Amino acid sequence: MPKTRFTQIGRAIPRREDRRLLTGNGRYVDDIEIPGALHACFVRSPHPHARIVRIDAKAALAMPGVAAVLTGADLAQWTTPLRVAPPIEGLHPVEMTTLPVDKVRFHGDPVACVIARDRYLAEDAAERVEVEYAPLPAVANADQALAEGTALVDESLPSNLVSEQRFSTGDVFARRREAHRVVESAFSQHRQTHLPIETRGCAALWDEGREHLTLHIGSQVPHPLRTQLAARMRLSESQVTISSLDVGGGFGQKIALYREELTVAAASRHLRRPVRWREDRMENLLAASHAREELCRTRAAVTDDGRLLGLELEILEDFGAYCFYPANYLARVVAMILTGPYKVSDYAFVVRVVLTNKCGSGPMRAPMSITSWVMEGTMDAIARELKLDPLEVRRRNMVAAAELPYTMPTGEVIADITPRETLEAAVTRVEYAQFRERQAAARREGRYLGLGLCSVVESTTYGSRFYKAAGIPGSGHEAAWVRIEPSGAVNASLGLGASGQGYETAFSQVVGEGLGVDPASVRIHLGNTDVAPYGMGSRGARGGTAGGATLFLCARDANEKMLAIAAKLLGFDSSEGLRMVEGKVVREVLGERIDTGISFAQLARTAYLDPTALPAGMAPGLDFSRTYDPPPMTYSNAAHVCEVELDVETGAVRILRYVVAEDCGTVLSPVVVEGQQHGAVAMGLSGALLEHMLYDEAAQNITGSLADYLVATATDLPRFEILPMHTPSRGNPVGTKGMAEGGVMGAIGAISNAVNDALAPFGVVAERQPLSPDYLRSLLRGKTP
Amino acid sequence: MDTVDFELSVNGERHAVRAEPRKLLTDVLREDCRLTGTHVGCEHGVCGACTVLVDGRPARACLLYAVQMRGHEITTIEAIAKDGVLSPLQQALHEVHGLQCGFCTAGIVMTFEAYLKENPRPTEEEIRDVLSGNLCRCTGYQNIVEAVLKVVHA
Amino acid sequence: MKPAPFRYHSPGTLDEALALLAEHGAGAKVLAGGQSLGPMMNMRLAQPDALVDINAIAGLDYVREHEKTIEIGALTRHHAIATSPLVRAACPLLAEAARQIGHYAIRQRGTIGGSLAHADPAAQFPLACATLGAEITAAGAGRTRTIAASEFFLSLMSTALEPEEIIVSVTLPKAPTSEGQAYVQFSRRRGDFAIVALAATVRPDAGGHIDQVRLGVGGATDRPMVLAELADCTRGEKADSGWAARLAKAAYDAVAPIDTPRVPAEFRRELVHVLTRRVLVTALERARR
Ligand SMILES: Cc1cc2nc3c(=O)[nH]c(=O)nc-3n(C[C@H](O)[C@H](O)[C@H](O)COP(=O)(O)OP(=O)(O)OC[C@H]3O[C@@H](n4cnc5c(N)ncnc54)[C@H](O)[C@@H]3O)c2cc1C
Ligand code: FES
Ligand code: FES
Repeated sequence: MPKTRFTQIGRAIPRREDRRLLTGNGRYVDDIEIPGALHACFVRSPHPHARIVRIDAKAALAMPGVAAVLTGADLAQWTTPLRVAPPIEGLHPVEMTTLPVDKVRFHGDPVACVIARDRYLAEDAAERVEVEYAPLPAVANADQALAEGTALVDESLPSNLVSEQRFSTGDVFARRREAHRVVESAFSQHRQTHLPIETRGCAALWDEGREHLTLHIGSQVPHPLRTQLAARMRLSESQVTISSLDVGGGFGQKIALYREELTVAAASRHLRRPVRWREDRMENLLAASHAREELCRTRAAVTDDGRLLGLELEILEDFGAYCFYPANYLARVVAMILTGPYKVSDYAFVVRVVLTNKCGSGPMRAPMSITSWVMEGTMDAIARELKLDPLEVRRRNMVAAAELPYTMPTGEVIADITPRETLEAAVTRVEYAQFRERQAAARREGRYLGLGLCSVVESTTYGSRFYKAAGIPGSGHEAAWVRIEPSGAVNASLGLGASGQGYETAFSQVVGEGLGVDPASVRIHLGNTDVAPYGMGSRGARGGTAGGATLFLCARDANEKMLAIAAKLLGFDSSEGLRMVEGKVVREVLGERIDTGISFAQLARTAYLDPTALPAGMAPGLDFSRTYDPPPMTYSNAAHVCEVELDVETGAVRILRYVVAEDCGTVLSPVVVEGQQHGAVAMGLSGALLEHMLYDEAAQNITGSLADYLVATATDLPRFEILPMHTPSRGNPVGTKGMAEGGVMGAIGAISNAVNDALAPFGVVAERQPLSPDYLRSLLRGKTP
Repeated sequence: MDTVDFELSVNGERHAVRAEPRKLLTDVLREDCRLTGTHVGCEHGVCGACTVLVDGRPARACLLYAVQMRGHEITTIEAIAKDGVLSPLQQALHEVHGLQCGFCTAGIVMTFEAYLKENPRPTEEEIRDVLSGNLCRCTGYQNIVEAVLKVVHA
Repeated sequence: MKPAPFRYHSPGTLDEALALLAEHGAGAKVLAGGQSLGPMMNMRLAQPDALVDINAIAGLDYVREHEKTIEIGALTRHHAIATSPLVRAACPLLAEAARQIGHYAIRQRGTIGGSLAHADPAAQFPLACATLGAEITAAGAGRTRTIAASEFFLSLMSTALEPEEIIVSVTLPKAPTSEGQAYVQFSRRRGDFAIVALAATVRPDAGGHIDQVRLGVGGATDRPMVLAELADCTRGEKADSGWAARLAKAAYDAVAPIDTPRVPAEFRRELVHVLTRRVLVTALERARR
């Protein structure tokens, strides 16, 4: 980290991308005009599991305006299957074709694609495609998946258990034996979906003359997507351009190359016509990507004063029917970072992942979201069991500043984090002791208040080693370029894919900082693979940390060269003492700044148009590129406190107060960071209270509309009180830590713990989400305080 | 299927449209009038992204057939900033970071442009109540509420 | 999610509209606010051959006061009903229910006629109208008839209306000053259809005893249920919270709610119990004011 204080980084500048978005001038995929484009509509399986006996498209093809009806057999000629087979012990390799050829595996599985003049006609035609199915027994949940003699979701596998990993360090059995008490808890999270308000969609243009494919799509990861798309279409990476302009939210749903998009691209090439597809909401709910359906159990060996001796974790995840990612990818992070801020050295886990006849799972904002609930719920369970104060139990186990860096039992190293400080700040803010008094008074009146604590240690900016171990095609590094044009205009780019994070603002501040110019003169170009350098995209809360650091370093390279030119022009031997400040070269002498009269623009002109004036041996131009590989993992941390009132008669939960103390290091843009904190907490609360992707016992999806999939609205959410803290990460050139997922983790845990606190007088514990009124009533029924 | 010809008045401009009667107002605005600021998030009335004004009143454009709009005046997000100057609500949303991905924003602006005419001094509770008809997955709503309050207290 | 093709008609008069319906028979549908029909057609759950849009028909959008009743035109929007000073004074329950329908933009388009014809068992207007003893006036080719709300709702989304009939108005009794009215609903979020909703009117006599009670339950079964007999049985009881609790328990015992994958019957029954008590207490309080 540079010792100088930042002047641009950390400034609260309103976002630069706002204007176009506020005035209706954004360019989301579906806004891009493509003359002559045909529209795709997918025929989807009404069955959770069935053999495809026959597909008859005659009636559909006979309709004027219908260009084609494509099936799995067609696509198999034009594309290669997806094989997910990283060398990970306990993980079975799997493969899927572009569209199913022999059988469908979930309700909503695409079986054919109609291409027609417009979407209306395409839907008419899709209704006329006759598919004959032979239904198979369906696997509706994880228990069924593991049952003896059950149907196989993927017939190439020996069982539905697609992945199983075990880990143990220390001696958890010994710890159990010596424990004063062994506390067991369960945490069951339900199936959810990302629900970006802009659904998926794409437009593919095949240029037959140049043999080039352009795919307009909203993507978080343009380059990795290009690699996959090119490979699966048997094209070279130089034959494919991905263009992703404005993206209406991603949250992890816009990472994978899905079957629909590949089909549309292949259709465009086959038909030599532009083809576009805009997913409708029903498709998005049924068939885009789901997440989070997992059951965790913990067993904590504790002393009589609540100290953790040993911890065991079991995870069973329902991954759905298809693996777009290695099946162990999401759950393994939970197991890896479970212990968070707590000190324990004896730890063991088993992670099992099963396939079921439901939509496939993928990472959703905080793929490890359940972690903090599991750990903090375990802390509460210990407090309940030992009749201790939950805050006190946390204090007794939490790592202190002097003990950092601390190595978790899994080998993960946490450093530069502040769990005690954030926890104390948050409980002070809510006046914890007074709350307990108010709570007691309310109970006497028959009102049930609850307060939930949740400390979060958020894994961010997953490093290259993580990706390699996880078997994800990708890495942790990022790439950037900065180009100062002859006029002094600054262009810059990096390989991230924006979907609302305000990159154009935050990164112009980073470049402005590095160059010593006004951020307003910097333009950030994102999302086009022909323009941007090959980067790893936006996932795993890495944008600010990996992206910001790369860009900063790149801008510093540029700054260095420009100051060297300035030194030459000034007749100095070296650029020592020279600095670029607000676009002017100044000389610092004994703390005084003296204007040299040389401007940024003048240096740019010289670099391009007067190379003879450059220092000897210096190449002309101002064109810089750079990559940067961050440390294996960067941790940020937070403490969440949630206060609720539970109406015990109806089971309704009302959030009265929500406080977050979060430490995410150096902040690039406080405006953007606060927005991310709100959004993440909102997503966590919404998921824990309302959202539920529900399948019935026959594995039929019964959540086909937004009247069924309930997302929190403005009346469901509280005002968030944020206490920002900034302990810089020493592992990062700028000092940033990732963020934007931890809010989800904290919210899930804080709300659950708060509800359980409110339920406490009745002697019941909610072990399941969503914390719906009918579930809470089912716990309360027949119970008295 | 048979198309019909009709005239549509959008943001004070007349558009000659030829479309099937079933063509939704969202699609006619976006495709025929080339006004893509009105977004589509669900096509069943829930998300509010497609909200436009019909004769000054907010309406879900995904639940209207364009052909129904003969003789009515439609206002979309494209008409809210005047001569390049953002409306007070747009300006406030910008200043307090009331939008992230921006996909929901047009619907929210349209809803409140109308609502604040009817009730220029709403409480936070009333604002949240009206805002509950628009889904936003990014912001947690707080800064949107803040922006409306800023306009109300200006 | 695009509607299947249909023919579109926008008649300027009620007679033309009725003639079109008669001509198309069961294949045609009336289009009012489109806030229920629109989603169903976009999802292709409804695929009518023809739509008869009644929005251009003048004279269907009004609230009128008569001596003992108020009359509301079928095309009156939810928002107009919720904010009408006349409805709020004469029929507060209806206005209170209207305010809770969906969201602001939905209430600008949705109509009372459409809501009654759609007959969602959890909807506000069917419950309010059934509880208040409203009368629904429907026009058919050549005749106009009046149907009591209690006989109008047959089952889930099915009514006594003939395919070629159009609802033209609803007539509701004005509340006497001694009467308190209340509507409460329980839904997961603001603006969602109720899981259970309760509507009540309470008229205590001068001595503080129950003179008249009307009690309706929505969302629990396939149509709004009016618990007339249960309520009548309590006539003469002392109007207090004990009475409310007893009647609530009686309602809990009497209603056998539907069981759905998301909402188990037992939970609905508990809500009937709790909300009945709450709605009665609120209505009683209002009667005393
Ligand atoms: C997001 C959302 C939330 C909603 N939430 C609620 C809610 O909480 N509570 C609630 O009650 N409703 C809710 N609704 C539905 C809304 O109230 C509708 O407006 C109402 O149900 C139907 O009225 P409409 O005028 O829109 O009728 P339309 O949708 O036009 O028609 C509905 C049906 O009634 C028939 N019809 C319409 N008018 C007449 C007439 N005059 N004579 C004969 N038949 C006629 C039509 O043919 C059709 O079958 C919601 C809708 C949406 C989109
Ligand atoms: S698209 Fe119209 S309300 Fe969602
Ligand atoms: S800003 Fe993204 S949905 Fe609202």
